[in-house]
Amino acid sequence: MAIAPTAFLDPALLARISDFELLARTVVDGFMHGVHRSVRKGSSLDFAEHRAYQPGDDLRRVDWRLYARTDRYYVKQYEADTNVSVWFALDTSASMDFTTTTVTKFDYARFLIASLAWLSKQQGDKVGFVTMGADIGEVIPPSARHLQRILHTISRTAPSGKGELLATIDRLAHVTTRAGVVVVVSDCYEPADKLGRALDTMRARGHDVILFHPIDPGERELSFAAPLTIEDAESGVRLPLRPDDLRKQYRDAFAAHREALTKRLAAARADYVPLDTDQPLDRALHAYLDMRARRHPGR
Amino acid sequence: MNFLVPAFLAGLFALAIPIAMHLRHREKGTPVRFPSLMFLEKLSIRTSKRQRITDWPLLLLRALALALLVLAFARPFAGNSDAAAAEDAPSTKVLLLDRSMSMGHSESWAAAIDSARRIVRESGPQDRLGLVFFDDEAEVAQPLTTDHSAIDALLQTATPSTRSTRYVSALRAARSVLLDAPNVPAEVLVITDLQRGGVAGLAGLELPERITVRAVPVVRSSEANVSVSGVDVRRVADAERTRLAVQARVASRRLSDVRTVTARLQIDGRASGEQSITLPTDGERVVSFDAVPLPSGRVRGLITLDTDALAADDTFHFALEGEDGLPVVLLAPDDAFGVETLFAERALAIGRAPTVAVERRRPGSLNEAALQDAEMVFVWDTPLTQSENAALETFVRGGGGAIVIIGRRLSSRDAVVPLNAATVNGSADRFADRGGTFGDVQTEHPVFSAFRDTPGALTSARFIRYARLEVPAGTEVLARFDDGSPAVLERREGAGRLLVLATSLDTRTGDLPLQPAFFPLLRRMVLHTSGHTAAPLWQLTGEAWALPKSLPEPVVSTPSGEILRPAGNDSTGAAVALAERGVYSAYSSVVSGDPVSTAAVNVSAVESDLTPVDARELLVGVAVSNDEAGADAGPAGSIELEKRQGIWRWLLMVAALLLVAETLLANRGWRGKAARLTVAGSERSAS
Repeated sequence: MAIAPTAFLDPALLARISDFELLARTVVDGFMHGVHRSVRKGSSLDFAEHRAYQPGDDLRRVDWRLYARTDRYYVKQYEADTNVSVWFALDTSASMDFTTTTVTKFDYARFLIASLAWLSKQQGDKVGFVTMGADIGEVIPPSARHLQRILHTISRTAPSGKGELLATIDRLAHVTTRAGVVVVVSDCYEPADKLGRALDTMRARGHDVILFHPIDPGERELSFAAPLTIEDAESGVRLPLRPDDLRKQYRDAFAAHREALTKRLAAARADYVPLDTDQPLDRALHAYLDMRARRHPGR
Repeated sequence: MNFLVPAFLAGLFALAIPIAMHLRHREKGTPVRFPSLMFLEKLSIRTSKRQRITDWPLLLLRALALALLVLAFARPFAGNSDAAAAEDAPSTKVLLLDRSMSMGHSESWAAAIDSARRIVRESGPQDRLGLVFFDDEAEVAQPLTTDHSAIDALLQTATPSTRSTRYVSALRAARSVLLDAPNVPAEVLVITDLQRGGVAGLAGLELPERITVRAVPVVRSSEANVSVSGVDVRRVADAERTRLAVQARVASRRLSDVRTVTARLQIDGRASGEQSITLPTDGERVVSFDAVPLPSGRVRGLITLDTDALAADDTFHFALEGEDGLPVVLLAPDDAFGVETLFAERALAIGRAPTVAVERRRPGSLNEAALQDAEMVFVWDTPLTQSENAALETFVRGGGGAIVIIGRRLSSRDAVVPLNAATVNGSADRFADRGGTFGDVQTEHPVFSAFRDTPGALTSARFIRYARLEVPAGTEVLARFDDGSPAVLERREGAGRLLVLATSLDTRTGDLPLQPAFFPLLRRMVLHTSGHTAAPLWQLTGEAWALPKSLPEPVVSTPSGEILRPAGNDSTGAAVALAERGVYSAYSSVVSGDPVSTAAVNVSAVESDLTPVDARELLVGVAVSNDEAGADAGPAGSIELEKRQGIWRWLLMVAALLLVAETLLANRGWRGKAARLTVAGSERSAS
C-alpha cells in the first residue's frame, strides 16, 4: 500500500529518519505535492539564468519562447532570488529536550530547520545556521553551498545547558551584517516584552524575523496526574506540586504568555508561529512561505 | 468499652508508620524534568501545602485499617446497660468478718466489730451490703441488702469461733454473694487480723476484675502468744498397774521476754498434775507430768496453761481409748501349738495399742460363736471342715480378717486351702541352695510399707521349704519368692480381708521368725487384716470423725452440748464434722451412760501463730479475671460474655476489607493511570 507523501510531514514518522537530507527532501517533496499552485514567488528585473521547471513553479515565470525552441519547460531565474540570506537559529538549551509525545521539542525544531533549509535552497536562497545556547555556538554563514553542512551540523547538535535566548538573539543581530531572513526556533522561555525588544533590534537591522515556537502538549497542559516533584531542565530547581491543583492556573499563564508573544512580535513586525510538536510540519512550511510571500512580493 | 488486653493499644503508636511513609514518599519522589518553572514559580504555591500529606484518602485508609487491627488484638468488649449505669449506681460492698479463733484475742474482736459497724455506718442508704463470717469455712450471714440494720444486728450477736483461718473460703463466698450484683464494681472488705497461716490456698483463686479486695486490719498491741501445741500420752506398765504418762508441748511466739507459765493436767475432770515451765521468746518446750494411775475405760484429758490474751489456745483436749484388745483366734493342730506357733504367739503378745489377745482353738471347734468376739483368725496350716469354712467365710465377709498359713499339712496332695484362697501345687525345697528369699515385694502395700526404705530387712530371711501356690482370680500377689513363686497373697471377701502365706512361720521351714522384721511384719499383717485402727489422741477442727461401724444408730454429743444424729451407710459408716473445740462423745441410740467412743478436738497450732501478713501480700497469687464470676458464670453466662467480646471479629473483617480497598486504591484508585513522560531521550513514568 502506497504511503501518501503528506504522511512524511508527521513528526512521529520523521523521528525514524536519521538522515536529515533525506528527511528534508521528504518533507519538502511531500509538502509540495499537496500544493496546487506554486507558492514560490519572487522575481527580479536582473535575469540570471534558466533552470528546469519544477512542479509548483509559477507558470508565469515559464520562458515560453525557450519552450517553443526546445520543447522543454524552463523558468527564468533572477539575481534577486539567489541573494536572500536565510539564517536559521536553533535554540539548543536544555529546556528544548522535553516531550510527552514521541518527539522532543528539539527534534521537532531540527526537522523544521532541515526542511526549511531544504526548501529555501530549492528556491535559490542562501542558507546559514546558528545555534543558540548560553551563547552563540555553531555559526554557518549563509551560502548557496552550505546546505549539507547545515544538515550535518543539525544532526550532531544536542540540547544542553542553560539558554540565554535574549543575549544570543542580540549577538545574532550583530553577526548578520546583511539584511535577510532570520528564522528562530525556540521555546521562548523569556518574557514576551524582552523577547520583543531583542527582535526589535533584529528588525532594525533589516531582517525579516519569523519565530517558530515548538510547544509540547504536556508542557502546555501540565498533564501530569499524580503529585510529583518537577525539576527545571535548565536550572535544576525542584518544585513539589500537585498538578491537579495548579493546572488551570498554569494553562492560563501559558496561554497568556503565548498571547503576549503574539502581540509583542506583531508589534515588532515579526512573525510568531506556535507549533504543537504532535502536529505535522506543513503548517510551519506554509507559514514560512507566506512570510516569504509577504516580505518579498513579486519575487 | 473495655479491653481484655489493653496492652495491645500501645500498637496505636504504629499509626506513625503510614504517616511517616507518606511524608517520606513525598520527599523521595523522583523529580520529573520540566522545560521551565517560569510559570509555576509565579503561581501561589504555598510551601506548607507542598510539605503536607497529599494522599489523604490512602493515608486515612491505611491508618484506619491499622487502628482496627490494633483494636481487634486488644479484644474490646462492651459493658451491658447495668455496667453503664454503674457509674451513678450505689456502691456494693461485702464485709468478710474473720471470726477464727485468733480473733478471740482480747484486743481483736471488739475492734473488728467496731470496724465493721463503722463501714456500715459510713455507707450510703442505697449502698448494698453483704456480710460473710469466716474461719476455715465461710458462712454467708447476710446476702446483699440495703437494710443496714440487719447487718448491725448480725454483728451484735457474732462471736469468734474456735476454728482456724482460711481466706480463700471467704473470698469464694464473697464472689458468690456478688453474683447477685453482676457487672457492677464491688468492694470486698476483709476485716481480719491478717494471720499468715490463713493465706494458704489463695494461689489459683480467680476474682473478677470488677471486684476490689481491701483488707481492714485489726491491729493488736502485741502478737505474743503461748499455746499448747500437742500432747504425747504413754501407758506405762509397772509391776502393779498401768500408769499414764502425759507430756505436753508448749509453744511460745513473739514473747517480749522469757516467761514462766504453769501447765496443769486434768484426767477425766480431776486435777492430775501441775508443772511450771520457763518458755523462750520463740520456741517450744515439753512439759512432762508425773505418771498417774490409768483409769479404766476411756480417758479424757485436758492441758491448761495460764490464761493470756488469746485464751482459746491455752487449753488442749485429748482422749484416750481404753486398753483395747485385739481378739485373735489361733486355729492350729495340737502338734503345732507351742512348736510351730511359738514365735508368732510370742510376737503377738508383745505389742500394745492394741494388745493382741490370742485365743487358741483346735480344728473342728471353729464356728460363728467362737468368732463372735474375734476380729481376726489365724488358720495355721490346717484344713477346715465344710462348716468351719462356712463360718470363716461369714466371718470374713462381715469385716473380719483371716491369715492362712500353708505349711507341710496344707501342702499335701489332698489338702484344700480354707476359703479356696489358693491352690497348692506341691512344695519347693530350697535346702540345696541354702534357701530362697523374698524376691518381689510390693512395698507400697500397708503390710510391707514399713520396709520401703529397708527392703534388706525382708530379703535377709531364708526359706528352706514353702508351698507352690497357684493364684486364683481376684487374688493379689503381695510378695513372691526369688524363684517367682507367690509368697503372700491377699484377697478381699466382702468387708474383710484374707491373707495367705506360702510358708509356715517357724524355724523349721526358714529363719523368718529369727529376723528383726518378723515382729513388725506379723503385727502389720494382723492389724491390716483385722482392719483395726488406733484412735488418735486428738483431731483438728474442720476434720471429720468417722464413728465406729459398730454403732447402728449413733448419737453424738458436741462440746457445746448439741446432740447430733449423723446418718451413714453400711460400707462407710457415719461421720461427724468436727466444728468445735472440745470433746465429742458418741453413743448408741441415746445419750446415756458411758460413750461408745470419744474424740478430742483442738484448733490447729497454726492458728496460735498471730504473726500478721502484710495487707498488700494478702492477694498475692490471686488471679484477676475479666471473666465475670469466673467458672460460676455457667454456660449461659459464657455465651453472653462471648457475645460481648466478639467485637474483635468484626474489627478484623472490616480491617481486611479496608486493606483490600487500600490495595486497589494504591494501585489504581483515584490516582488514575500514570502519566508517561519522556525526558532527555529516556522514558520515565510518573505515578
